[in-house]
Order: sequence, then structure tokens, then C-alpha cells
Amino acid sequence: MSITKVTDAGLDRSRIVTPIIINGDMQVAQRATSVTSHNAVSYTTVDRFKTVCETGTYTVIQESLTSGNAYLNGFKKALRLDTTTAEASAGSAGEQTTIEQRIEGQNLNAFLKGTANAKPFTLAFWVKANKTGSNLQVNLRDADNTRQVGGTYNIDATDTWEKKIINFPADTTGAFDNDANNSLTIEWFLDGGSNFSGGAVPTAWEASSNADRNVTNFDLAGSTDNDWALTGVQLEVGTFDLNTIPAFPFESIDDNLRRCCRYFQDYASFKLWTTALDGNTTTRLGGVFAFNTTMRAAPSVSKTNNTGTIDSQTITDKGYSVFAEKTDRGTTTNVTDIELDSEI
Amino acid sequence: MIKSVTKQPLIDDNTKHNYIVIYNDDKEWTVPHDENNRMYQEILEWVAAGNTIAESGE
Repeated sequence: MSITKVTDAGLDRSRIVTPIIINGDMQVAQRATSVTSHNAVSYTTVDRFKTVCETGTYTVIQESLTSGNAYLNGFKKALRLDTTTAEASAGSAGEQTTIEQRIEGQNLNAFLKGTANAKPFTLAFWVKANKTGSNLQVNLRDADNTRQVGGTYNIDATDTWEKKIINFPADTTGAFDNDANNSLTIEWFLDGGSNFSGGAVPTAWEASSNADRNVTNFDLAGSTDNDWALTGVQLEVGTFDLNTIPAFPFESIDDNLRRCCRYFQDYASFKLWTTALDGNTTTRLGGVFAFNTTMRAAPSVSKTNNTGTIDSQTITDKGYSVFAEKTDRGTTTNVTDIELDSEI
Repeated sequence: MIKSVTKQPLIDDNTKHNYIVIYNDDKEWTVPHDENNRMYQEILEWVAAGNTIAESGE
């Protein structure tokens, strides 16, 4: 019997099939799986999650999970911060320790932000820490319109994976830019100086105010006993609770890696040989390669060259070319350990 | 934190250039002149803080 009609049961929700959060299950860590003595603002281990660590010093790990509630729900990796050097009193007034994911505006159109039809946001994630805490804050920060909204969660039990759901209201003010730059930062606040407290958690969208971003300090940097871990991050259009939130959108590893490669690519063992003779000179050789994925923007390039002088480089979002001096190159010149960074 | 920034001209148009940036961890990055690049924005902040970009060959 041929099918004449497919009913729309189960298909009527306007979900984005591709997850908004990239690498929410923490499976991809191209840079490293562990970084010690981290006290800086940079991407360290798990792709797409920025480790802003200004208070205290941390070991940042892509942790492998083998038990616990997150593991039992399919999560095999997590992003974990272990405090290795404590910093009392949350450091200087303007210092913060946060975990961020920054999202391009063109990936946020489904929220209809800045229109009369604006949709609410629901953030789900799994979290574990060595100590309990109340009113830990997560903020959504609109970089295009300098606005923010906040929500809170509790850590009810120590060293136990707990799933959290935070609902954020719709915002009819301030549309996200439809471009490749940062429009929305999700910010898990873990420690902060006095500049980030003193206000109230902004449960409605408001003009950005630092005093409202970390009203109750978790004080992750307060003791070397402390740790905090995150996985299963999921952002949905609409309002959901623990019972109604859609299942986590697990991706295949190749889909996940390809999406991460829009922001960072690692060619650790690859050697780009400079073999093509530059027609304008007898002393210069060039090499070129195309990236495996078009990047968000022309990336920064880190590399080492075995010998010779690099004269010039051309970088676009699609590829890279390099020219080296032939005269002092020895027998061959190559560029290796190439890293491409186009993170937001 | 940035330690130094030096211009590197493009081979086909020496009026344009990339930037060779060395950070405090001594890692070197070639940063394109692109306002959408995060490290280029860091260079702009570094210059606004009173630092100077070295010309190629200096």
C-alpha cells in the first residue's frame, strides 16, 4: 500500500535539528585533554568552551566518565576545573572565573529575539562539584545589544552529577545580528571579584550590568579542595522542564568534529612542504593547502618551520599559503604543527 | 597577554600585512588583518593600551 499522507504528529514542533550548542557532550578536545596551571582567558581543552580563569589557578581537564548519572545518560566526557592554587577573597575586584560558549548570531535566528514573536530560551546541563552551593548563576549575554539575563541553579549533593534546567524569558528588544560574530555568550559564573556582585539576578532581560552577573559567589578559587565539572549542555527554543525537555541531541563524532573545525583546526603531524617555485623570484618557494572545513573567519595560524625564513603568508577562511626563502632553506623547508584558530 | 606584535607584508601586495604575535607563553601566531578575528581584536586592545606594533625587519 502506498503512503498518501504522513501525519504531522511529532513533527509539529519547530525544533532546530542541528543542536545550537556545539560540542555540548564535550567529546571533542583538539587542543589538549589536560592543561595545568591555567590562570588566563583562553580556550584550553574541550572545543568551543572558553575557560576564563582569572581568580585562582586550575587544572582544566577533558574528564572521562565511567559512572554516575551523567554517564548513565550517555555522557562519556566532561569539562572539569580543579583548583590547584587558591585565591582568597575572589581575587581582584574585576577578576572572574567563568566557563563560556559564544554563539554566532546567524545560529540564533530561531529565537526571534528583538521581535514581537520572540521565543524563550531553555538551558539544560549536567553539573558536578565537590561542594554544595545555592543560586549559582548562569547568564545569557547579548553581545549585539549589550543586554543580559540570568538564572540560577543549586548543587544539592557533593560529587554527584545533577541535571539542571534553567528557563530564560523571551526578549522582544534587540535582534541578534545575522552574522558570524559573537551574539550570545552563555556564562557559567564560578568565581568573581566585587565588581560582579552587589546587584540582583536579572530574571528579565536588562541592559548589561556587571553587578548582576554573580550575585552569590560559588568561590571556586577559595580552596584547592574545589572542583566543578560540566557536560550535556543543551540550549532549546521554548520553555521546558526536566520532564519535557527533548532528549540531548547526540551527534556523530564526525559531525561534532566538523562543527568544531569551523572554529579550530589542528594539523599536529601534517607537514606542508614548500615546493612550488615562485615565478617572480628564484629564491622563494611556496606551499598551499585548503582547510577541511570553511572557518568562521580568516584564522590565526600557529606553526613551526624546520628551517629557512618565512617571507609571507596568505590566510583566508578557506585556506593557507606560505612562502619561504629558498636560499637558506637547507634541503627542504616545511611548516608543521599547524593550528588554526578562528574562535570567537 | 601579548608580548610583541610585528607586521609581515603579504607577498603580492606589500601595502597589506599580517601580524606576527607572540604571547606570554611564547607561542607565536600569524594573525590576519581581519576585524572578525579574535586575536586581531586583541591586537587593537594592546595598541590602545599604549603598545606599538613593530615594522617588518625591525
